[in-house]
Amino acid sequence: MAENLASTNQVSTVDLDQKLSSQTPQEVLTYALNEFDNIAISFSGAEDVVLIDMAYKIAPEKVQVFSLDTGRLHAETYRYIEKVRNHYNIDIDVVYPESEAVNKLVREKGLFSFYQDDHKECCSIRKIGPLRRKLLTVDAWITGQRRDQSPGTRAAIPVIQDDKAFARPGDSLTKFNPLANLSSQEVWDYIRSNDVPYNELHDQGFISIGCEPCTRPTGPGQHEREGRWWWEEATLKECGLHDVNIKK
Amino acid sequence: MRITFVKKIKLDGSFCKKCNEVQQKMDDAGQMEMIDEVLIADERDPSSPGMELASLYNVEQAPFFLVERDGEAPVIYTVYFKFVKEVLNQKTQEADELKEILNDNPDLDFL
Repeated sequence: MAENLASTNQVSTVDLDQKLSSQTPQEVLTYALNEFDNIAISFSGAEDVVLIDMAYKIAPEKVQVFSLDTGRLHAETYRYIEKVRNHYNIDIDVVYPESEAVNKLVREKGLFSFYQDDHKECCSIRKIGPLRRKLLTVDAWITGQRRDQSPGTRAAIPVIQDDKAFARPGDSLTKFNPLANLSSQEVWDYIRSNDVPYNELHDQGFISIGCEPCTRPTGPGQHEREGRWWWEEATLKECGLHDVNIKK
Repeated sequence: MRITFVKKIKLDGSFCKKCNEVQQKMDDAGQMEMIDEVLIADERDPSSPGMELASLYNVEQAPFFLVERDGEAPVIYTVYFKFVKEVLNQKTQEADELKEILNDNPDLDFL
């Protein structure tokens, strides 16, 4: 079945999304883990730990996890990744950026260029590069992305999608976002009711957790996005094609 | 092989910024000669050829490329540098490709 889905076209992925969107994150994960043998969970060291907890309860032998170590994470996050590794007794594949690319960036622009330019150059080197390398080795991946994390973008995050950006040449890559329809509150309800270990930074007011220089605690009423890259002006994504204008 | 290049016209009647940038890069590199057809996805007109094609293949970003080869399933490319590397077999800078991916997928920086 994995081969069938891997070779499926976009249209059938859309059909699947309609079906899976009404299902619980656990049901989506069960589907994903049943369909794909070579599938990995992306763990950011934040509340997306619920994916690991859910997957571990569904099929512990199939839990494959990776984390992107940008080299700029909080010490708390490194400790937390280790805590999760020990708690679930799982391997976590920690993926690093290419040293040459980081060297070049730092040599030419220093260690904090993102405050002068924007975060994208640094993120692309420290995060997207290693992510792509990792994704070239799998047939499907699972993220903790949720719709309520990025209200500024127009495109809704589907539960399942055909990942055209990271697919191997001539191949397909399927991306699952089982938490897409969950709110932050629902994620935290799960964490608390299931005694899931969480990053101690959350107790210090951090909602969204990324690299140390680019993350700050947020105050009451602030959206979690305001805790990331706060010096940059929020801009709307321009290149999406309006859903309402695409005939289904 | 047949390549279709789809550009977007926004609701205000102007081309999207990335469409213009990609078009400029392709013009400069002489890559437009490799394109068999250019279609417009006009957000004001759901029945415009580019919007129809986007709907058919469920493409949510513009510009994009449709690559059709005999006997093979059509392939959609939404990342210009990936298209250049994999279809046009031309050298690209990884940094450019990664930045384009992040620009097109801003939610990725949450990972």
